[in-house]
Amino acid sequence: MNAVLAIAAKDLRQRLRDRSAIVLGFIAPVAVAALISVAFGSAGSFHADMAVVDLDGGPVAAGFTTFVKGPDLTNLLTVKSVTSEEDARAKVANGDLNAAFVIPKGFSEAVTSGQNLPITVLASVDSSIAEQVARSLAESFTAQIEAVQLSVQSAVRAGAPHASAGKLAAEASAVKLPEQTVTQPAGTQALTGTSYYAPAMGIFFMFFAIGFGARGYFLERTGGTLDRLAVAPIGPGTILAGKSLAIFVYAMASLGTVAVVTSLAFDAHWGPPLVVLVLILALALTMVGLTALVITVARTERQADGFASLLTFGLVLLGGNFVFIGGAPPLIRTLALLTPNGWALRAFTDLAGGAAWTAAVVPLMAILAFALSTGAVAYSLRRRVVR
Amino acid sequence: MTETTDRVPPSTTMSPGTNMLEAAHLSRSFGTRTAVDDVSFHVAPGETYGLLGPNGAGKTTTIRLVCGLLSADGGEVTVSGMPVRASTTTAKAQIGYVPQDVSLYPDLTARENLSFFGRLYRLSGSALRERVDEVLDLIDLTDRRDDRVESFSGGMRRRLNIGASLLHRPSLLVLDEPTVGVDPQSRHAILESIQTLGSAGLAVLYTTHYMEEAERLCDRIGIIDHGRLIAEGTSRELVSQVGEKDRITLSASGSLAAFAEACRSLEGIDRADLKDSSVQLLARDGRLRLPQVLEAATRTGTSVRSVEVDEPDLEAVFLHLTGTALRE
Repeated sequence: MNAVLAIAAKDLRQRLRDRSAIVLGFIAPVAVAALISVAFGSAGSFHADMAVVDLDGGPVAAGFTTFVKGPDLTNLLTVKSVTSEEDARAKVANGDLNAAFVIPKGFSEAVTSGQNLPITVLASVDSSIAEQVARSLAESFTAQIEAVQLSVQSAVRAGAPHASAGKLAAEASAVKLPEQTVTQPAGTQALTGTSYYAPAMGIFFMFFAIGFGARGYFLERTGGTLDRLAVAPIGPGTILAGKSLAIFVYAMASLGTVAVVTSLAFDAHWGPPLVVLVLILALALTMVGLTALVITVARTERQADGFASLLTFGLVLLGGNFVFIGGAPPLIRTLALLTPNGWALRAFTDLAGGAAWTAAVVPLMAILAFALSTGAVAYSLRRRVVR
Repeated sequence: MTETTDRVPPSTTMSPGTNMLEAAHLSRSFGTRTAVDDVSFHVAPGETYGLLGPNGAGKTTTIRLVCGLLSADGGEVTVSGMPVRASTTTAKAQIGYVPQDVSLYPDLTARENLSFFGRLYRLSGSALRERVDEVLDLIDLTDRRDDRVESFSGGMRRRLNIGASLLHRPSLLVLDEPTVGVDPQSRHAILESIQTLGSAGLAVLYTTHYMEEAERLCDRIGIIDHGRLIAEGTSRELVSQVGEKDRITLSASGSLAAFAEACRSLEGIDRADLKDSSVQLLARDGRLRLPQVLEAATRTGTSVRSVEVDEPDLEAVFLHLTGTALRE
């Protein structure tokens, strides 16, 4: 046991003296998480500046303006005044407005005569969320109009006098369309961008432990120090255990640091600490197995570097560390579950959303299965210690 | 040339239980290439045994087999009577291994390197600290103990490389060409320290392709070529085994022909030739024949100005055995 600890301590000491290991293991993930936190910091309180260009001047157009300025939407948007459609276009283009509605001339008359004249939404390509919100508001309003039109037409066809159409329209417009969809998180709280990307980036940088571990092994082999270890009165298993322990501790410390810092400084939600710790330990174990896999396949330090990079970027791309996997096509979401990081992200997002700890059981089993299967390769690696 | 392929039979002086290292019938191939072919030798406590041979002769493979770094296709290695294999620990605890290349961690200090290797040999606490200080003192690196190895000169690295193998007080020190690429001053220091360790009772297995080192350091020498141990013995034994004779050159004036004729009749002188103003003799144990030769010069009225005795060396032995020079 003393020899295992000695090898692990030596490897970690070397790692800590390697600035790139410090940067990639601890500084970069925290820095990236901080950037993402800033980027997504306001995502929970979306607000946009919009304007209404009323070219119609009729009562229905006025109704739309009242609708977007209404109390239900004051938290979502601020409606600013513009002088013309050109003014609105210019302000959207230079970013003063996130979006603008243009109500065409004759809009009110078209509505009352049962025709459709669309509201135009002007939006910047840089404000895709604002564009979607504006489009939804316009569609919601026109859906209400269509419902009123349908109600009046049905009443007239049923025998109501044509003269009462105006009164019927006023009554129908007072009735709101029923809500068709209600969004609720699976847990008790919504998932924020920081809560997704903090573990995603933490796991991504954790993968660099593979490269460090594999490169360290080949450096020992070419430098002759592996021979010195092999001549010492310790078995090949002791050498492997010592080196594995170093990778395990480095990987665990890396992701653990990201978890603690992003939780405390950037309000990222990781889930119950104990469950998060168990997931981190399982992921660190997977890094050990993957490192062994790289060492088994590679023949030189350069090859090890290449394989480690390939494995790292392949798994993080597939697992959804760079893009929100929930928004990906079903095939990609299924492929993500072939990776340990994909399972880990699923567990962390569920836990961050307030799901019970049991939500982490299946992902944990999947991560451990991955670690064990790559660990089987590590077992065969013993023979390579003595060539 | 058939002599070059003859194998030396296992040493007749091998006595199980008393030798620190015994290598018996070691063989190892890499694919179709045989690197070590039925090699047997032993090293007693306090003895320095040299494996002498050119590059690629099989010295390093033999060393790796002895240290358990390679598994043998055939044969066995024992240290203190215990077999050495990759997984055995008791026998390996008695071996101090000095690799051919400097095998240290450049980003660690001298002290950290030694402490790490000491811990692998179950040293810990104050015992480890004291031993590290002793070794640093022994290799004269105490004042650089807290400097990283990457800042050391080549000679300092070589000394630390040896020091790392001495921490656990091994019974057998195995050195694989430890002076390759070393400046003369450091080489001298390394050879001196190995002589000291040998005289302190350590069994030493030393490989080299430098004939001078083998002659200076080794009590016995095994000459290895193409994976085979082709001769073994002390330096003198090896020379006498191949029948090489001493060459005595006398620069003289006077009746040189009479002097040469008188020398031919002396015991131990096999040949006497006149060459310009000198006489060249081929003799067995040349130095022992000098008094008789000088007496013959006086008797024949020859005035001797200088005498030079060339004893055949291992280079000549190797040339005789293999038909090639050692450094070819």
